[in-house]
Amino acid sequence: MTAPNTPTTPEPPPPACANNGGEITRRNFLRASAGLAASVAGVAAALSPLRDLDGFPSVEEFLQKHYKELSKDEMNDVLQRISGEVEKEYGIRPHLRDLKPMNGVEFVYALNLTRCIGCRKCVHACVAENNQSRSPEIQYIRVLKMPQGTLDVERSDHNYAPKSVPEKGFYYMPVQCHQCKNPPCVKVCPVKATWQESDGITVIDYNWCIGCRYCEAACPYWARRFNFSKPSIPREKINPNMSYLGNRPRPKGVVEKCHFCIQRTRAGKYPACLEVCPTGSRKFGNILDPDSEVSYILKNKRVFVLKEEVGTLPRFFYYFDA
Amino acid sequence: MNADTKTSLTLASLSVGFLVLAVGFQLELWGEPKIPAEVPPALATATNTATVRFSASDMIKAGGDTSGMECYACHEEGKLIELPLGEDGIVILPPDHKDLIYSRRQCSACHDKSQNVQIEWDDDGNVILPEAHRDLVLQHGAHHRNNPCFNCHVENKLTELETRGGKRLALTESTELCAGCHGPTYGDWEVGIHGRTSGFWDPNLGESTRKQCTSCHDPHAPKFPSMIPAPGPHALHAQHEPATEHADPAEEPEPSDPPEEH
Repeated sequence: MTAPNTPTTPEPPPPACANNGGEITRRNFLRASAGLAASVAGVAAALSPLRDLDGFPSVEEFLQKHYKELSKDEMNDVLQRISGEVEKEYGIRPHLRDLKPMNGVEFVYALNLTRCIGCRKCVHACVAENNQSRSPEIQYIRVLKMPQGTLDVERSDHNYAPKSVPEKGFYYMPVQCHQCKNPPCVKVCPVKATWQESDGITVIDYNWCIGCRYCEAACPYWARRFNFSKPSIPREKINPNMSYLGNRPRPKGVVEKCHFCIQRTRAGKYPACLEVCPTGSRKFGNILDPDSEVSYILKNKRVFVLKEEVGTLPRFFYYFDA
Repeated sequence: MNADTKTSLTLASLSVGFLVLAVGFQLELWGEPKIPAEVPPALATATNTATVRFSASDMIKAGGDTSGMECYACHEEGKLIELPLGEDGIVILPPDHKDLIYSRRQCSACHDKSQNVQIEWDDDGNVILPEAHRDLVLQHGAHHRNNPCFNCHVENKLTELETRGGKRLALTESTELCAGCHGPTYGDWEVGIHGRTSGFWDPNLGESTRKQCTSCHDPHAPKFPSMIPAPGPHALHAQHEPATEHADPAEEPEPSDPPEEH
């Protein structure tokens, strides 16, 4: 095919394969092809950072139903699948369960601010128990150093590092998820990936969370943490006692938070932060049991909640005693 | 400029743009993506659930070696001990007894084996006792009226205790003696809200065990000892928090190398 070179012809016959823009000539074709090839290569190369994306869900994971819609058999399959994934990644077969809330149980936490010395052992026991990412660091508990005589958290400091604690003139207030009865984080979730269970624990289905972080913004206690990157947990530090809604390893891009050590407390045990506290400041139990320790505290001590005015009705109480 | 040239120009500029980006990514013109520094692992002591001290009562109950607590290896039985009194009637603790009190501390509750203890000296060559150890003196209460040994110990049988009402108690029953003066605290302890508990919150599934008074409080200096705080949030990973905000040199207590695991 050659370009028509008969300018003298007043009315050249229309070429067989002409279009409105021009004719397909060898030159045009090669130019267009080269341009196209370059564009495709350019786009592909420019998107090359996407090659580093990983963590695509398996087909089963992608098609998994919402936690509340899973039948018992389906849940077992899910637990098997996740156990396999954990075993593949960390070389240890976890004891992964889906513990349900117990009947007639509502959990309450009470913390004696007179006793707390700010040693931060609860923070690290929590990290170890709940398979939290070590680097980047994710911690559920934040201990605030507060000047005595105020409850203003704006005046607190959580980066304190003196040679020894407690320091004169200060008290320490550990803050973690308050398991509110009126949780703003649950209200804002657009996909119902977080909800309140009958025993008062607000849980997250890490397989359902889309990582929009609305809940993180809604929480007045800064209790929620986001996995900006894949959590890194040393293999030898993994806690194999896991729960589906609790401490199983989280994927990148989901929100997590304190769940009162669901894998321990729904089996009747105290949470890890309570067990490690050297001063015994932390008390935990069933508020529906009139003989429990927390019932005694709520009846006999002058307890208060943090940011009462926001109307979240926390299940986490603080108190001072002599 | 007709539509054709416009399209070609747009396509060409897009292609060039993407090619520049591609070359840029390949040559890493914008540098490597920033990877935050590794957070050093927390010390093993941060998750240690041991009590801060190991009381004589615990040692006796566990069947441990109590030969170091044999008072009459040094003291003469039946002979009253004269208390060395300083000014204001303060009992001066003999050096031997400081050692006795030191020896019941659970060093591992605060110190990590992998980290050497740094001893600091003052200008006169004396060891500067760290804040956390300064309570290791005979100081029962803010005043000194409770320091005389025989307020609690039987005068001629030091391994036994005597309440204010004259009831004789073994060392392992010391909690009853403490209750004599610290009634409200004892009441709280009895219902499980003072002091440490461990085990099960649900009485149907298991027991909740309580520690005795002396498991945490040194009866000779009962104020709860001060402790070295576990590391705070790592500066590089503190979300919402600029790392430069705290310029205090004490801010980074850890060495740059993560301690070796044992």
